[in-house]
Amino acid sequence: MFLALRDLAFAKGRFALMATVILLVAFLMVLLSGLSSGLIERNVSGIKLMKATHIAFELDNIPSYTNSFVDKEMWEAWAKVPGVSAMTPTGITAFNARNSNGTALTVALMGVVPGSFMEPNVLAGATFASDPRGVIISDELIEKGVKVGDVIRLDRVLTELKVIGTAAHANIGHVPIAYAPLPLWQEATYGPPGGPPPGDELPKVLFDYASVIALQVSDPAQLKKADDEIGTVTLSREESFNAAPAYREEVLTVFLIQGFMIFVSAMVVGAFFAVWTIQRTPEIGLVKALGASTGYLMRDALAQALVVLTSAIAVGGVIGYMLGRYIDTTGVSFKLESAAVGLNIGLLLVAGLIGAALSIRRIGSVDPIIALGAER
Amino acid sequence: MSAAIGLAAEHVTLVLGDGDQQITALNDVSLQITKGECVAVVGPSGSGKSSLLAVCGGLRAPTKGRIRIGETDLTALKDSQRTGVRRSKIGFVFQQSNLVPSLSALDQLMLIAHVNGSPTKADENRAMKLLDSVGLAARARRRPGQLSGGECQRVGIARALMNRPDVLLVDEPTSMLDHNRGTDIVKLLATQTKEHGVATLMVTHDASMLSWADRVLRMEDGRVLPASSPMATAAQ
Repeated sequence: MFLALRDLAFAKGRFALMATVILLVAFLMVLLSGLSSGLIERNVSGIKLMKATHIAFELDNIPSYTNSFVDKEMWEAWAKVPGVSAMTPTGITAFNARNSNGTALTVALMGVVPGSFMEPNVLAGATFASDPRGVIISDELIEKGVKVGDVIRLDRVLTELKVIGTAAHANIGHVPIAYAPLPLWQEATYGPPGGPPPGDELPKVLFDYASVIALQVSDPAQLKKADDEIGTVTLSREESFNAAPAYREEVLTVFLIQGFMIFVSAMVVGAFFAVWTIQRTPEIGLVKALGASTGYLMRDALAQALVVLTSAIAVGGVIGYMLGRYIDTTGVSFKLESAAVGLNIGLLLVAGLIGAALSIRRIGSVDPIIALGAER
Repeated sequence: MSAAIGLAAEHVTLVLGDGDQQITALNDVSLQITKGECVAVVGPSGSGKSSLLAVCGGLRAPTKGRIRIGETDLTALKDSQRTGVRRSKIGFVFQQSNLVPSLSALDQLMLIAHVNGSPTKADENRAMKLLDSVGLAARARRRPGQLSGGECQRVGIARALMNRPDVLLVDEPTSMLDHNRGTDIVKLLATQTKEHGVATLMVTHDASMLSWADRVLRMEDGRVLPASSPMATAAQ
């Protein structure tokens, strides 16, 4: 690094310009990573909060929380599968709804068996034990003006849900969740509009259906076999993110944006080091004539690229992180996940180094003969 | 000073280009320079002087013939091994000094130590001593841009001696200097040749510098003319 550091100090103007570009890319990467994680969080936060390890869906090539349909036979069969320590049928349906004061809302009604592991932690208000027709709503609905004690009426089916408590921010497919006891969800989803005719009861068969089966699995060895026998497809909780509406598309979009950025920055770094290497061709020829091997010069140049990239990325990353911490407090869907940020920054560094390395290769083709003024 | 051979060229021929474009840059050139001897090579441009330097310095492999640096047969070596010989046994003094712009005078010398491995305090002491011997100890921290042409050339000479070479190859050392400064540089080269016991081959077109050389060779059309040629005799 002897020559690398001195060249760096000598040509600091050029390197500063280059470093600024890398710094800005790193800064953008951190913000983009925060926005991506925030977006994805908004989609699947409700799934992340589930205390299930696995979710069994109706057999389908593309399992989906909102389209899946399971029956009692299935969940009773799942209860007997070895390695499954607990299971509970769960229903998910998105509804348009209106609050008591007429505010229009979209809620993802999630039917959970009261007392099961799927029952949400209540932050404020009461639990299902206090009211079988009560719902516990995501914090986000509170931010939209719903209060404990309000009655939310679902459009078309006209089921009335009394808000009895609030739970943490929980979304599925970007829609805030309202947790209901499973029978209430079954009534809203499968029952006739307006509820049973006066004096009548709802048909029992309604209560034999749900959307998915939430599982707590201690030993996943039998899952595949059980799936085949029961006619379900079981995903781990993390895999089941893909079954949330639009999750795949969002992840792909975000992935492509980040991928293009990394690619572009690799090209920029490569172009810079290509020009830089061409500019210092006489110096390379001279140092080779003085006995430096191509390997020595390449290591030196790569170390220089590493110094420039790491320092620029570090500074850009820190600025991005600080701004991100601020954005985090403003309510924009933004989430800094150190793993995601670290991965993106790491990829940026690796891509930059690859770009630099490809350009630096031309050191190998510089002929030391150019150090002699006029051969022949 | 021992009479050991520092540099020897034996029947060296160098053909450049290919097909119809072939040019015989060196044609059966033989010479020997003992350690401590300063040999000047003169000749018109295109006579093969620089090619001789390139071949002796391992920058080009001759088409025919052999080059020996001390005990090493340069022509028997692969490219990477020739680079190693340049690193450890050859000192180059280039036209216009050819210093690395970003390095201070001291670092120009330390670069040689770095290229040869991990430098020690002893290397730094040697570098300072060499700079002192060319009268630049006080300017060791200056970069080429902050030094005059003559000073740069002195740094170049000190740098060429840094790796304790057997052979010093000097390419037009005075081409960018006025007469007085040029004379100083050639005098310095002559004294350093004796002091460090190197075999010096100096290519020049400046006849006024020849009186400082122990021997003068004249080249024409890729051949070294016999010592009896008028100009060589005059110089002796």
